[in-house]
Amino acid sequence: MAILTVRNLTKSFGALVANNDISFDVESGTIVGLIGPNGAGKTTLFNCVAGLYRPTSGRITFEDRDITNLPSWRIARMGVARTFQVVRPLKEMTVLENILVGAYMRTGNPAEAMASAKRCMEMSSLSHYMDRRAGGLTIGNKKRLEVARALATGPKLILLDEAAAGLTTTETREMVELILRMKSEGVTILMVEHIMEAIMPIADKLVVLNGGEKIIEDVPGVVVEDPEVIRAYFGEKYSRRLRKGAKEGNDDGRDA
Amino acid sequence: MNTKKISDGIWYLLLAGALVLPFIPGGIENTFHGHVLTMVFLYASMAQAWNIISGYCGQTSFGHAVFFGIGAYGAAMAVVQFNSLPWYGAPVGALVAALVSIPISAPCFRLKGHYFAIATFAIVEIFNRLFMIWDWVGGAIGLDYPILEDGWRNFSWSSDKTGYYLGALFLFALVFGVVRWIDSHRMGYYLRAVREGQETAESLGVNSSLVKLSAMALSAGLAGLCGAFFAQYNYRVDPPMVMSLDMSMKFVLITILGGLGTFWGPLLGAAVLIPLQEYTRAYLAHLGSGVDLIIFGLIIIYTMIRQPTGIMGLIRGLAPRGRDASNDGGDR
Ligand SMILES: Nc1ncnc2c1ncn2[C@@H]1O[C@H](COP(=O)(O)OP(=O)(O)OP(=O)(O)O)[C@@H](O)[C@H]1O
Ligand SMILES: [Mg+2]
Repeated sequence: MAILTVRNLTKSFGALVANNDISFDVESGTIVGLIGPNGAGKTTLFNCVAGLYRPTSGRITFEDRDITNLPSWRIARMGVARTFQVVRPLKEMTVLENILVGAYMRTGNPAEAMASAKRCMEMSSLSHYMDRRAGGLTIGNKKRLEVARALATGPKLILLDEAAAGLTTTETREMVELILRMKSEGVTILMVEHIMEAIMPIADKLVVLNGGEKIIEDVPGVVVEDPEVIRAYFGEKYSRRLRKGAKEGNDDGRDA
Repeated sequence: MNTKKISDGIWYLLLAGALVLPFIPGGIENTFHGHVLTMVFLYASMAQAWNIISGYCGQTSFGHAVFFGIGAYGAAMAVVQFNSLPWYGAPVGALVAALVSIPISAPCFRLKGHYFAIATFAIVEIFNRLFMIWDWVGGAIGLDYPILEDGWRNFSWSSDKTGYYLGALFLFALVFGVVRWIDSHRMGYYLRAVREGQETAESLGVNSSLVKLSAMALSAGLAGLCGAFFAQYNYRVDPPMVMSLDMSMKFVLITILGGLGTFWGPLLGAAVLIPLQEYTRAYLAHLGSGVDLIIFGLIIIYTMIRQPTGIMGLIRGLAPRGRDASNDGGDR
């Protein structure tokens, strides 16, 4: 069953069409990767789904309910959480307080919110920084905080916008583990990621955007063979390596 | 949560201490100190009411004199025009202040950044003029209280002012108690989240318009209660006394000096500025009115330059290296 459907989504900024007639589904319980070169319109699409932007046209449904023009806080409460590619910590609040804001979406009880926030904090390996001011964290920890905070809202679907960008190889591996753990807990994941080593091994499906248009939607094994994707995004050499990686099922990120 | 325990301890000790003070001979009865302490509690409460929307929620309002004034008129109207009790006038005034704040601030909240603050400036002038020409509320002359029997029933005391002191203390306990509660519940987190990033807060399910409006209404309502106390204490009210930018600025300056968006800030700021105001008025009156405001201004300029986080920032800086000192390589 599709938890999220995007139908004929178009978003333009003046003359610039950032998303052009895009349609795809996200099946419940899966990991869907959204990839494409810089400026392809991935973040714009996230912003449309999350209600930060109003689509120019098209329709988005979540659990069969139309969410196209709902305010973002309503969409969040329905169970769609998102992270920001350019991190947005609530700077003057501590790490724990940031996560608590998310946790309070599901309960008004301080003890319950605290328990759930601490759980998300541990899952994201942030416990050590609990009382730190969020604005003072390293980029890696800010990235983790984005995920922890979104997770604390108890989402059914989480939109991760380059959650692993800027992380070290080890940190990226931890992030992948966290994503898999979310999946195992029943959260559906739609993720934008440039680090192929992070997304290829775990994605059930990839949607590729280029210049605001969807060029293909398929399982990773097929996507990496697609000539158009290779031309638009991977480049020949890189794609040969990826194909090899996909066949052997290895997720060694060292040669990134 | 060590700091929370300390804060709890100080809170209860303070309340207990302030409550027994009048029963200690020579404590406050009919002394100038009694008057100053009463004013400290009043202005601390008022600054704290303002702190809810402007400190915690980050929506700087210069319009709070309006809500303060509406509350003052609520009590005064009940007593002067309706021959009733301030006990009815004060809550009605507070309620009206809260209700009035909603249509006033809703359009202002759409303004970004400093424009919100600027719009609230204009509101004080509008209300000041409105009350100046409104005969029913006494116009420019204002409302003068008749002679009333001393006591809690009329909330008025002419000889022993201990009643006012206790009244101010209860007001203080109420306003600070409300903020303490908010601080440790969802509302407190949502207020600060809206301040730190409205879109981010909304992505976490926070209805920021509702949060801002309810914070404003609560803030205005509590400001109204403070105004009612002010009218009772002064035995009269007129527009420039309550609905003036001077008054608005006091709430702002007290909180900034003490520490914006902190629980103790409004009390610390009031504890410094109000005695200063009252003693300069008493001892430097021959220099003309407004000396207190000049001194206020100088202290604030100094604070903004040397310690923008106010007295609370100073105290936190003295505390052993903890959460605020630690930095993990990111921005400050
Ligand atoms: N708010 C906006 N106003 C105007 N143009 C915008 C806005 N947001 C995005 N764009 C433009 O839309 C296009 C798509 O941008 P978007 O951020 O969605 O790309 P992206 O796929 O996320 O890229 P990246 O991989 O670099 O993050 C770009 O040309 C960008 O400049
Ligand atoms: Mg992007």
